[in-house]
Amino acid sequence: MLSKMLLGRYIPGTSLVHRIDPRAKIIAVLLFMIIVFFANHWTGYLLLILFVLSLTKLAGLSLIFLFNGLKLILLLIIFTFMMHLFFTKGGTVLVDAGWFTIETEGIIRGVYITIRLAMLILITTLLTLTTSPLSLTDAIERICRPLKALRVPVHEIAMMMSISLRFIPTLMDETEKIIKAQSARGSTFMTGSLRARLNALTPIFIPLFISAFKRAEEMAVAMEVRGYHGEKGRTSYRVLDWQFKDTAVIIMMVLFGIVLFMIRQ
Amino acid sequence: MIEFNDVTYSYREEDHNALDHISLKFRRGEWTSVIGHNGSGKSTLVKLLMGVLEGYTGEIRIDGEVLTEENLQDIRRRFAIVFQNPDNQFVGATVEDDVAFGLENNGVERDEMVRKVEEALRAVNMLEFRTHEPSRLSGGQKQRVAIAGALAMEPDLLILDEATSMLDPQGRRDVLEILGQIHKDKMTTIIYITHDLAEIGVSDHAVVMKDGSVINEGTVDEIYHDTEALISSRLVLPFTIWMADRLLEGCYMLYDELVERL
Ligand SMILES: Nc1ncnc2c1ncn2[C@@H]1O[C@H](COP(=O)(O)OP(=O)(O)O)[C@@H](O)[C@H]1O
Ligand SMILES: [Mg+2]
Repeated sequence: MLSKMLLGRYIPGTSLVHRIDPRAKIIAVLLFMIIVFFANHWTGYLLLILFVLSLTKLAGLSLIFLFNGLKLILLLIIFTFMMHLFFTKGGTVLVDAGWFTIETEGIIRGVYITIRLAMLILITTLLTLTTSPLSLTDAIERICRPLKALRVPVHEIAMMMSISLRFIPTLMDETEKIIKAQSARGSTFMTGSLRARLNALTPIFIPLFISAFKRAEEMAVAMEVRGYHGEKGRTSYRVLDWQFKDTAVIIMMVLFGIVLFMIRQ
Repeated sequence: MIEFNDVTYSYREEDHNALDHISLKFRRGEWTSVIGHNGSGKSTLVKLLMGVLEGYTGEIRIDGEVLTEENLQDIRRRFAIVFQNPDNQFVGATVEDDVAFGLENNGVERDEMVRKVEEALRAVNMLEFRTHEPSRLSGGQKQRVAIAGALAMEPDLLILDEATSMLDPQGRRDVLEILGQIHKDKMTTIIYITHDLAEIGVSDHAVVMKDGSVINEGTVDEIYHDTEALISSRLVLPFTIWMADRLLEGCYMLYDELVERL
């Protein structure tokens, strides 16, 4: 179940979508979030769908794969659709059961909102699926650099993000080990009442926290003796290389937005 | 040359001294091993040297110069250290990023960084893993990356604080072999901290610590021969030394007697 979850996962690859500069991808997704709201007519929505589908194809990912990975999110989408179905009024009445009615406007609104939501989710998933967390962090740091003028500690936040990402697998392994160790001692957090299960979790979280703090302390010492003293005078090993294709991506996105705006009704 | 002169240190929350009037010398170009039981003060010793802990009495001199707040950054640039836990010192997201970390901190130009990272990774046979994430490496490989990170800085002194104690025998052999190579090729001074007496064989000089004090010092032979000091150090003795000690007590004994003693 969890292994199939796609939210926030990265699937390495070499497709064009993979190779676009992460900054360009983030900016494009942000633009798309605005553009989605330009559509107010079925042609607009159709274009949105076609656009996202062709991107998926370009990234070398299959729709079925995406669909399977986003099942949980699907519930949310269905819920939104239902809300509109039952509560948006207008147009002709299709079903009248006394205590509730379904009207055409409700269906149309529901479908449109569903498309918007689905396309937004798909495109952000595409972003994380085709960009390594590391590049994402890098890109966010570069994009947010102007915020430094407002005294936002951009570098420090990016450093924290990248170290946290780096520690996720380590802590996962550790959690598993602790769970096994506690099970071997007869701890049963898979059965019993909710309360009993929560109680059984304490002996898992406490050792986990203690070890996380110890790791953090050792990591801080290791960073310090390796000469880390913040951003000042620091150079960067990883470089992002903005090319023509990255500018092209942004231009395309803007053009797409203009087209959608023109066909508004 | 590094000199500890009558250094005493205690952690704030502890009532005993973690280091108790320690005087020691580490000579340039030598491989010095520091051996001692858990809690004997070995890590405290290097933390003082690297300026991680402050508030000790006595003085630490490096090439005659007293270690101070002012020359600390410079010292950190010249000394590199590899710690015990492979996971907790891996800062970078990938192998090459981690090796570059120290260089980045010191503002090295990118072209030079790329060259140095490659060279260092080659020296520890990890070049082919350069883009790997730490979660895909074994403990021994992570420690080799940590050594590469140290080597990239071209240090005068390389300190290993129980760097092999969490590794399997193969990982341990690999790391020791690479260190031997570095010591031979570059004449790098090495301080090798361990609680395993079997690991001090290659060193030029060895120091035995116990409860924050130095209880013995000398060549490996001298250390191995002073069984009394070794036994009192609470270290686990290699079987051969323990056996020799037992056998020396009487000049000869009967088979049954030997069995009984063992
Ligand atoms: N962070 C700390 N806080 C308090 N006491 C410590 C700390 N680290 C070490 N000590 C104490 O200092 C003594 C020496 O520890 P350490 O230098 O880590 O020994 P070693 O590295 O030889 O195992 C021990 O008695 C230990 O309990
Ligand atoms: Mg130690």
